[in-house]
Amino acid sequence: MSEPKIIGFLCNWCSYRGADGAGMARLKYPPNMKIVRVPCSGRVSPELVLRTFREGADGVMVLGCHIGDCHYSTGNHRTAKRMPVLKKLLEYSGIEPERLYVNWVSAAEGEKFAKVIKDFTEQIRALPPFVETMK
Amino acid sequence: MSDRLTSLRETIEKILPDVDGVVALRTGPGGIVAPYLFTKEHPEELAKLALWPKEPVPDTLKIILHAHPDAKLAIVCRGCEERGIVEMFKHAQFSLDNVTLIGLQCEQSEVESCQCFKPFTVHAKLTVGQPVEGVRDPMMAKILAMSQPEKLAFWKEEFSHCIKCYGCRNICPQCFCNVCALEDETWVETGRLPMPNPSMYHMIRAMHMTAKCVGCHECEETCPSDIPMAVHFRLIARDVKEMFNYEPGASMEQKPPQLLVLEEGDYVRTGLPH
Repeated sequence: MSEPKIIGFLCNWCSYRGADGAGMARLKYPPNMKIVRVPCSGRVSPELVLRTFREGADGVMVLGCHIGDCHYSTGNHRTAKRMPVLKKLLEYSGIEPERLYVNWVSAAEGEKFAKVIKDFTEQIRALPPFVETMK
Repeated sequence: MSDRLTSLRETIEKILPDVDGVVALRTGPGGIVAPYLFTKEHPEELAKLALWPKEPVPDTLKIILHAHPDAKLAIVCRGCEERGIVEMFKHAQFSLDNVTLIGLQCEQSEVESCQCFKPFTVHAKLTVGQPVEGVRDPMMAKILAMSQPEKLAFWKEEFSHCIKCYGCRNICPQCFCNVCALEDETWVETGRLPMPNPSMYHMIRAMHMTAKCVGCHECEETCPSDIPMAVHFRLIARDVKEMFNYEPGASMEQKPPQLLVLEEGDYVRTGLPH
């Protein structure tokens, strides 16, 4: 069985620092996720997520700052509003909404970061490869 | 239907001297029904006033108001068209200061042909006809009853018919961006038919219709491949109502959720951790 491919869009100010923290603390997490650093989770448009799936990702993670902690004050409000709608759209189109994961990870939450990556990778491992389902 | 036609003609005749023009439908040359600007200079044209089939009049209003921003106009609009006009107004496409809305209430037969959920106007001061109840869309129930693989197979089949004519985008009263994501090759691949799955074109359009689609069915009407794409928009509209308490076109004042930050709306039933 092939390993699932996961793309993670990480906000530069919180979640990316959280990933650094997890590394610094020598926490173990699966290597499936490839990180794309974005200035803000609000940068991640639905188009970007859809294209990532089209390019063959099995799962997409969008991690940002907690609501109220955004470096750009309300950037992650966009994420909070649009990602649930995108999840619904995926569901109505017959794509498992579990393939898209959104959460808030702050710079201090290295442990949470390692945990969400681990849980999400397990979740995606249970699903068939995305490219197969699209054939 | 003739009753409504007569009373609509009377309403227009009454308002015509006070305005520069009235946008309504007219049976033109060759029996083709199209939007027309009735003016007091040519009252005889009112004899050709038509009601059905409906045409996207909000776009006509926008074209006229862009060319003549100070024109004093009246427009005959159905429930869906009124919602379209309200949403365009809220997205700063035109001002409604000099525009009078004449509401035309749909008849039962028209409601059934459109499967409309709200076939009556709510903002128009002048109305013609008796409002009737909307119907429940059977397509929505059909999609919701399907399992995930069934949904996927259904949409794969439907979207494989798409010839990418962009007709649904062009006709849509809510598609007014100057730069369209659907023309960007980063998102929508060119030169491939049928489109590869998942269909970026339709998924992006569905996302962009969030909190905007007024349910006028013009996209489905115009589609040469009869793709029931608006069911996506209606399903999402249902969720948007639940999550953001927003219904496109229902209120002149309520701001769309896109423009608000979380604290301003009565949200947070979005199912995200916080």
